[in-house]
Amino acid sequence: MIEARQLTKVYRVPVKKPGLWASVRSLWDRETRDVHAVDHLDLTIGEGERVGFLGPNGAGKTTTLKMLTGLLHPTSGSCTVAGHTPRDRHPDFLRSVTLVMGQKQQLLWDLPASETFVLNRALFDLDRVAFQRSLDELVELLDLSPFIDQPVRNLSLGQRMRCELAAALLHRPKVLFLDEPTIGLDVQVQAAVRTFVAEYNRRNGATVMLTSHDMKDVASIAERIVLIDGGTIRFDGPLQQFRQRFGGGRRLVVRGVEDLGDLGFTSAEGRASATVEPDQVNGLLQRVLERHPDAEVTVEDPPLEEVLATAFGGKEG
Amino acid sequence: MLEARRTVQALAALIRVSVATAMQYRSNLLFGLATALLVDAMRVAPLLLVYGQREQVAGWELPHALLVTAFFFLLFGVQAAVLEPNLGEAVQAVRSGALDLMLMKPVDAQLLVSLRKVDASSLFPVVSALLVGGVALGMTELPGPVDVLLAVALFGSGVVSLYCLWLLAICVSFWFVRVDNLRFLLWSATDAGRWPIDVFRGPVRWILTAVVPVALITSFPAQALRGAWDVELLGTSAAVSAAFLLGSRWAWRRSLAAYASASS
Repeated sequence: MIEARQLTKVYRVPVKKPGLWASVRSLWDRETRDVHAVDHLDLTIGEGERVGFLGPNGAGKTTTLKMLTGLLHPTSGSCTVAGHTPRDRHPDFLRSVTLVMGQKQQLLWDLPASETFVLNRALFDLDRVAFQRSLDELVELLDLSPFIDQPVRNLSLGQRMRCELAAALLHRPKVLFLDEPTIGLDVQVQAAVRTFVAEYNRRNGATVMLTSHDMKDVASIAERIVLIDGGTIRFDGPLQQFRQRFGGGRRLVVRGVEDLGDLGFTSAEGRASATVEPDQVNGLLQRVLERHPDAEVTVEDPPLEEVLATAFGGKEG
Repeated sequence: MLEARRTVQALAALIRVSVATAMQYRSNLLFGLATALLVDAMRVAPLLLVYGQREQVAGWELPHALLVTAFFFLLFGVQAAVLEPNLGEAVQAVRSGALDLMLMKPVDAQLLVSLRKVDASSLFPVVSALLVGGVALGMTELPGPVDVLLAVALFGSGVVSLYCLWLLAICVSFWFVRVDNLRFLLWSATDAGRWPIDVFRGPVRWILTAVVPVALITSFPAQALRGAWDVELLGTSAAVSAAFLLGSRWAWRRSLAAYASASS
């Protein structure tokens, strides 16, 4: 469904030295350097797959997404999505994909969201029956009916995002590109969005490619992780394998006990936790139970944030 | 053919939305009408002053010069209601990255970006055009059907050229963030369209025909209405419009290929 071969995007950016003379000089003598935002990337994503596309800031996530949607033209290499070359912007291609960006909106600001839906019906040339069926389903799944007829400018951020999703999915795309879809939303709406995307994938067999800073998004939506850094792929595999590779340890959590600092535990909100290598779990467990025989102890996978921090080598995700 | 029908349908829907948005601010519409009529009356005044002193200016009598003014008001209405708001919106969309979501629609991106909006409150110069045109035709012999048809075709061809010129300004915004000066330049240059083209000589005349083609929109159709058209006039209009259409389409494709999109 999505295929990229040696996909590369190079930006030429100006380099300016500090100082007034350097500024004046740059008027006629401009130095530039090439930044390889995406560097010979190979990627294959099958129909119906849900992929989390992760990487630190500036890793090339959004640039890749924009090339796969045809917004940016690759410097070299090629890609096909749903059987089309995205940069050609063939109408059939645009009817089979959608792009949701958490920081950009397509809703008409001064009018109710329902007006954007009607407009999108015309832009995508949807027949009345298909449009109404799609809309009814989205209104139900995203619970839009209480505010669908209010001007968008009067809606909360969460309500707007739910309407954005509906506007982006009215034409029932086969491929969803989601770029930070839950950014800035409160916890409840984030959960609603995640449930919705998973449900849309289940009902329509759609392919989902997701970038997010929120690891809960990734954990609940993606079954496969592609990790990109410096424009190249560093990991590509199932979520479980990703945890094992970058977060090979196990996390011991002890509830109601706080005096375990000397054993390497950190305490917060009435629970102490420590992450150790799998072969050290039994020994540590024994020492905890010697000290607190009645303690409630659980052994868990480390949280995805921790795994990701290891994978990024301390860079901001 | 199917795609053309879809494009027309999509543009009609966009324009319906922009009119619905304008209706949210009804007082703007009334204010637009009042100021447009006042400003246009002041625009006719210098012409009347000149013709108060002499019968002809560069071979044009008052009724024909008034026809030029009527076409100028039509140009003014199209420019203010369609070309200018879309330029503003497009430049903002390129700068903010909102263009991303427009490009995801299965409609010709050039038309979607450059004709998505109509500012209904700026359409009132069309009323002035009808008034002045009516007065001018009342003062002279009525034109024949062929003359009228040619005038409409010449005006349409001129508007296409002007649209292409504004599209080129949108293309410039892909490389340069600020295009305000270009906007002022376009408005100043089109202001010369108030006068019959024969008033101008040498390079200025050439510029107003082929570079900022206001003569195509105002003088050429007025000439057709007075029956003074010839093959050269029709050929010039068609050639300039074709060159603008091809050139601006090429520039648009280059601009999209160079689009860097604002980072998220």
